[in-house]
Amino acid sequence: MSQVIVTVEVRDPIGFHARPVGQVVSAVKASGWDVVIRRVGEEGVVANSPLKLLAMKVKTSEVLEIVVPAEGSEAEALAHSISETINQEAP
Amino acid sequence: MSVEIHGIGIGREAGFGKVLRWTRAEGIDEHRRSTTTVEGELEALRTGIASGAEAVRAQSASGDEHAADIIDALLMIIEDDELVSMATPHLEVGWDAATALFLALEDLNAMMGDDEDFQSRVGDLRGIALTISAKIRGIEGGSTIPAQGEWVVVADDLTPVDTAQFGPSVVGVVTELGGPTSHTAIICRSRGIPAVVSAKGALTLADGALVLVDPAGNRVVEGGELSDATTPISFVVVNDEPLVTVRANIGSLADAEAAAQTEARGVGLFRTEVLYLDRKAQPTREEQAKQFAEIFKAAPAGKITVRTIDAGSDKPVPFLPSGEEENPALGVRGFRLGLAYDDFQQDQLGAIHDAIQTTGRDVQVMAPMISTVEEAQQFAEMARGLGIAQVGIMVETPAIVPMVPDLVGVVDFLSIGTNDLSQYLFAADRMHPAMGALVDPWQPGLLRTIAYLMSLAKPAGLPVGVCGESAADPVFSIVLAGLGVSSVSVASAAVESVLEALKSVDLSTAERVAEAALRASTPGAARAAASDLLQS
Repeated sequence: MSQVIVTVEVRDPIGFHARPVGQVVSAVKASGWDVVIRRVGEEGVVANSPLKLLAMKVKTSEVLEIVVPAEGSEAEALAHSISETINQEAP
Repeated sequence: MSVEIHGIGIGREAGFGKVLRWTRAEGIDEHRRSTTTVEGELEALRTGIASGAEAVRAQSASGDEHAADIIDALLMIIEDDELVSMATPHLEVGWDAATALFLALEDLNAMMGDDEDFQSRVGDLRGIALTISAKIRGIEGGSTIPAQGEWVVVADDLTPVDTAQFGPSVVGVVTELGGPTSHTAIICRSRGIPAVVSAKGALTLADGALVLVDPAGNRVVEGGELSDATTPISFVVVNDEPLVTVRANIGSLADAEAAAQTEARGVGLFRTEVLYLDRKAQPTREEQAKQFAEIFKAAPAGKITVRTIDAGSDKPVPFLPSGEEENPALGVRGFRLGLAYDDFQQDQLGAIHDAIQTTGRDVQVMAPMISTVEEAQQFAEMARGLGIAQVGIMVETPAIVPMVPDLVGVVDFLSIGTNDLSQYLFAADRMHPAMGALVDPWQPGLLRTIAYLMSLAKPAGLPVGVCGESAADPVFSIVLAGLGVSSVSVASAAVESVLEALKSVDLSTAERVAEAALRASTPGAARAAASDLLQS
């Protein structure tokens, strides 16, 4: 299956927390794709549930993969914008 | 007589008004059994969540953007289908929809454990859940704010729905709970309402009493007047370097990383017990060494001061049981626990030594709760025996203060823990809500004890740091510098403001400020004397 994978290191000093999680979920829901966020080598969660994302308890300096199950510029743009949202409060 | 309650001030200007004790409609938060089927409750829960969330959205629309983002994120958590899944098992054992929602949030809270960001939002989530509960149970009422008059709203904590009611008649807010980033704090900051949050004892303020909300002084004064308000001091940076070294307090890898983002020079207090509190079994020396090395690597450049485990029956570590104690603060805690579990203490120091070797960082270790020269000797021998070169002790018990000259040649440095030193000096439990005024760092009894300590430590050539929270008050940090301490250590969030203060004065000014504070016979007078000198 074709997909776009973007890797991002969490630089926000309090990790992947409530506010960015909320914004990522909004973007994912709006896209209609089952975007998966996972640690490298793990199954991860579909990023339409803030609870599941928060329960991952991602801390600063952890590396995540954002997996969009589609191809093309739109899918790539979504993956990159999610990776930026995750670090938008990073110094 | 005026009563002072201390907390965390939000805003600069003070407010003065009548206490309005915030009440919620009766029955809104009680646990109730279901009177219908699980399916019926599920339906009620979904409908309640939808209409409750809508109400919160509508009422919070006027807040600022930052606050609105947070409320959006919280509403998303509340509206997440996962939360309904978490509530379902509680419905299946016979609770009603609102109770199941509260219980699901408790489960979520337990699941998130030590996540600090999440902990700071728990109160807000519960606030939204209360709104939903009111919808589900058809309860209306609770406090409303009169449009006329000047009111200081006093509550355990406030919800987005509560704060949405705030109009011009609200001149102050005091909450027992909540931190500087809680919803209440954010809303008050954005609306310019003076507030003191995390004010232990707030609920003892009587309805209708006249109070001064003094955020610059981090306090609420019953019977105070606006003219008593602390003037916020603006420090003008004139020097490149602070008067004394400013270090950061940390307890975890995340803290170390946050501290590295500040201008703190090294770490003045690394609370190691945080690494053990949730461990069922004792970690191996290798595992501890790996954790220490990770944290050392992440810590801000400069010297790192590691405090050995500071636990006891009030802060129990599962694999180091200390049994029930009448007075945990006076029992087996700090280095006393380290002595009781010698194997563990040796392992921990060994692991710190190993991590120093692998990272090459400049690290010193210190023991908490030392009250005799023998204890200091025991600790120093143990640490040096395991290859650690720089060894010190915390000054937390009054008994060790007059013994400082005898510590020469035993330890290399001292670090004052002002919170515990106050607790033991004043025989006042620092957690007791009514003891706040006694454990105020501006108490002259504490100030003069520190001055006495400095008069012994200086000729002895022992450097003294301060790692208690008191140093986070910029004015107090200047007093400490004037008393001759060589470093202060504060939480990452306070590093910037303390550095600013310590770059704004020279040593002779700091000494004059310290002398003025020392002459005072009450904490209020000491604080005022220091602030007055800095303002002129």
